[in-house]
Amino acid sequence: MKARELSPLAGTLVRSGLTYAGLVTLGALFALPVAWMLSSSLSSLPAVFAQPYRWLPSPLHWENYTRAVTLLPVPRFLLNTVVITAPVMVATLFSSALVAYGFARFRFPGRDALFALCLATMMLPGQVTMIPLYMVFAKLGWVDTYLPLIVPALFGSPFYIFLLRQFFLSIPRDSEEAALLDGASRLRIWWSILLPQARPAVATVLVFTFIGTWNDFFGPLLYLNSPEQATLTLGLNLMKTQVLGSGVVEWNVLMAASLLVLVPNVVLFFVAQKHFLKGLTMGAGK
Amino acid sequence: MRPLTGILLSLALLLAGCRRSSGPDRTIVYNCAASTADMAALRPAQEQFFARTGIRVKLNPFSGEEKLYAMIAAGQAPDVFYTNSAVRDRLAAEGRLLDLRPWLETDPLWRRLRPEVRAAAASADGGVYSLSNWSQTCGVYYNRALFAAAGIPAPTADWTWADLRAAAKALTKVGGPGGRTERYGIFIPAHFIEALEQMNHAPLEKDALFLTIPPEAREVYAEYLGLIRAGAMPDVRRVQALGMQAAQMLESGRVAMLVEAVPHAGLAETLTIDWAVAPLPRFGGKEPRYFRSASGGLSISAATKNPADARRTLTWLIGEAAPYQPNPVLADVPFVAAWEEKYPRLRGRGFREVWELSERHPGGDPRYFVRFASWAMGPVMSRFQPWLDRLWSGDATLDQVVAAVPGVNAGVRQDLERQLRSQSLRPAWKAALEHELSAAPK
Amino acid sequence: MKAEHRQGWLFVSPWVIGFLLLTAGPMLYSLYLSFTAASLLSPPEWVGLENYRRLASDPLFYRSLGNTAVYALMGVPAGLLLSLGLALLLNAPVRGQGFFRTLFFLPSVTNTVALSLLWLWLLNPEFGLLNAGLRGCGLAGPLWLQSEAWAKPALVLMSLWTAGGQAVIFLAALQGVPRELTEAAAIDGAGPVRRFFTITLPMISPALLFNLIMGLVGALQVFTSAFVMTGGVQPGSEGGPNQATLFIVLYLYKKAFQEFEMGYASALAWVLFALITACTALAFRLARERVHYESATP
Repeated sequence: MKARELSPLAGTLVRSGLTYAGLVTLGALFALPVAWMLSSSLSSLPAVFAQPYRWLPSPLHWENYTRAVTLLPVPRFLLNTVVITAPVMVATLFSSALVAYGFARFRFPGRDALFALCLATMMLPGQVTMIPLYMVFAKLGWVDTYLPLIVPALFGSPFYIFLLRQFFLSIPRDSEEAALLDGASRLRIWWSILLPQARPAVATVLVFTFIGTWNDFFGPLLYLNSPEQATLTLGLNLMKTQVLGSGVVEWNVLMAASLLVLVPNVVLFFVAQKHFLKGLTMGAGK
Repeated sequence: MRPLTGILLSLALLLAGCRRSSGPDRTIVYNCAASTADMAALRPAQEQFFARTGIRVKLNPFSGEEKLYAMIAAGQAPDVFYTNSAVRDRLAAEGRLLDLRPWLETDPLWRRLRPEVRAAAASADGGVYSLSNWSQTCGVYYNRALFAAAGIPAPTADWTWADLRAAAKALTKVGGPGGRTERYGIFIPAHFIEALEQMNHAPLEKDALFLTIPPEAREVYAEYLGLIRAGAMPDVRRVQALGMQAAQMLESGRVAMLVEAVPHAGLAETLTIDWAVAPLPRFGGKEPRYFRSASGGLSISAATKNPADARRTLTWLIGEAAPYQPNPVLADVPFVAAWEEKYPRLRGRGFREVWELSERHPGGDPRYFVRFASWAMGPVMSRFQPWLDRLWSGDATLDQVVAAVPGVNAGVRQDLERQLRSQSLRPAWKAALEHELSAAPK
Repeated sequence: MKAEHRQGWLFVSPWVIGFLLLTAGPMLYSLYLSFTAASLLSPPEWVGLENYRRLASDPLFYRSLGNTAVYALMGVPAGLLLSLGLALLLNAPVRGQGFFRTLFFLPSVTNTVALSLLWLWLLNPEFGLLNAGLRGCGLAGPLWLQSEAWAKPALVLMSLWTAGGQAVIFLAALQGVPRELTEAAAIDGAGPVRRFFTITLPMISPALLFNLIMGLVGALQVFTSAFVMTGGVQPGSEGGPNQATLFIVLYLYKKAFQEFEMGYASALAWVLFALITACTALAFRLARERVHYESATP
């Protein structure tokens, strides 16, 4: 890039200065929860609620972390969580992307009504369908297995179908049409032309499904009974269960455990956010 | 895509396959709200119980009311589970709970239970649908150092409400910029108002369906508001009455006294200040009636395949099983000593005195509190709580709140009459409700 | 059948099958329950339109409807503006971009137990950080969750903290804005504001529509924050101070699971369903001319 004039350069400098100022100020606000979790996870129990709050506990109670991992069978719960999360991510992405492709690129009778119906399923509060749905899974003998948590992902999720449809519709179809003329199958076009172009959206879907499943509390609570089957989020909840009279909730240890559960989310997001950059513009621009 | 789906499905089926193995014969599923520590304590006890009786108790620690209802609706109710008083009656009235009474009369456990626990167990139709697995009273936790510094004598067993009010006012410290209150004399969470009403001998009727504010209760409300208006107690809206913040307030020195449950292991374990606990104050010369008992207990599903084993498990859980021991519902257990053993920080802080007083002068349990444990709790509170909110915020006077009670009850009656039309109620319950409705003034 | 018809149906068939197997049954069953006097667990009795008639004269229904509408009117626009602003900030080519993106996304992945505990502490009128800060500025802070006027804004404030999720969707959409277009416009002398409104905004309008609709669906079904923060489970809590945070879903939850009136709760749910569907249909209609699709299929 060559320096054309001075004023645009100054403008850029001012603008990036403002950007930084905005990022840092707002960023501090958004970092608050994790900062507080970090600080309270290193505090003694009374210090968690001390007034005024001390952001830098002294001494640092690192033993909260060792206690967190000894209190819960972490490897077991971690494995359980992965066994649920991985298939849900893959299945949700593929099924939703297939369905979204159908809605975005084909003309067929009833398409718009069907799409409306798909959206409509999100508009009835789950509280009134929860018991009938539980009864369906109970009839199938799936309670206390991972099936009620995994199998629905095979049929696509309306949220991601809608999201991907919106993205597919904003991608020009020139290259798809060219491939169609060359005799490529629709499935092939979907896989090797459309999905690569929709990379930011695909990354978004993967991140969201990971976070949604990894941190899901209500689904596992409802369908799992055996302690050996528990996920990490259920385990966290065990730590805050208060039994009448004898319950001492160790909030500092709970915060330590919550932070540990949070780490994979952060790592995944950090890796995935790079792909938000590599969309079709990169292909065209580079 | 196809092979992938196939792999996923077979993986899922494999997981499902692993789960169906244990024989159904003598397994009792117990829905427990257990913490990790309790689970650890329960495991060896479970094994011993199995060795002795052949009953395999399967713990389901992931419970919640919605989940319990879903399980019952799907015909997969756990055999033994916790219910609170209001829920217990609703489930019993629809025939979902086993009536324990016929069996209890001959079971040794029944005679071991403290009298007020036995009294609390009976439901309005005469049946017994749950047994309390815990019991508590309440007391005034106070900052001993602050009392000493202010030269105020520590509360005694026969201190009165006037003493409490005077101490609260004396310990309140206004200072700082803008006349801000640095320290409040006391905080009483609003759900302890009924316990105070009991101390003031307000007539409280067990399993009542309608809200009443008799003169004795009105006095308590007036005193309660008086503490707020005098600035000696934070506006109840100002302090969200969550368990964890009780410790916070006392610990931080922002309140000098706090009314809370006794025993309260959370407080005992977290407080680092010099604290002690005193019994609730008496109202004038009236004999005390301390709040006693818990708001629920363990029930057995009417659909259990093995009632005998389920009853045996229930007896075991309440009478023997760790981590529920020492259990204050049992009359033959030296509770205070055992509890002080478990939580040594309780020694010398008044816990023993408060507990023994409450055993000597037991008052009612939550089933006397329309607001918290009655069949009509929902219909009452959805109409009455807004009035209380207005009372705290100063938008309504006490007279207006008392005057609103008939209107609240008229709405409650409408709701109850609609419920009576439902065909799902058991005849005994229907008769009991109808009787209550016809006895209550319109 | 034309090949395109058949292929189209084939692609959408996973969802259709799932709908028929898992979703349609429970939905229809709850519709049926709304015409019955079903308690939570017992066999339903047909009562026709009784529940809907009762609802029409239920003051708490109107109260919850009003609360929900106010919450959505505050929360949805605020959420969209904040997340769009964040996305633009995070799309700027600065050092540490990945770090900042992750930072803004943190509250969206934080365990709700931790978050709600933190919020209770932040918003506590006596001991909370927020009011301590306001006192430092010489202002008397409101009672937040305990005040009838401030409880809903407090919940909106909480929801804004998780705007990072919506921002990610905007960010992904921004990658589809061809740089040549904005650069060409810049050479033609269009300022940044003009470039944003004439190029960027139309190009990301499909994502805007998505975020608008999902924001509406989420706001009109707001439940968890009100349940956790204003105590759906605490004794003596009936949806916040003077029922200021009694939203429709919270109300129907109380009816279904605390008062065992599943029939009435289902009627409430279906009224809400109709309301959300109407709002969404309106949004799609308004979007018809305004949303720009690169490859729309009629």
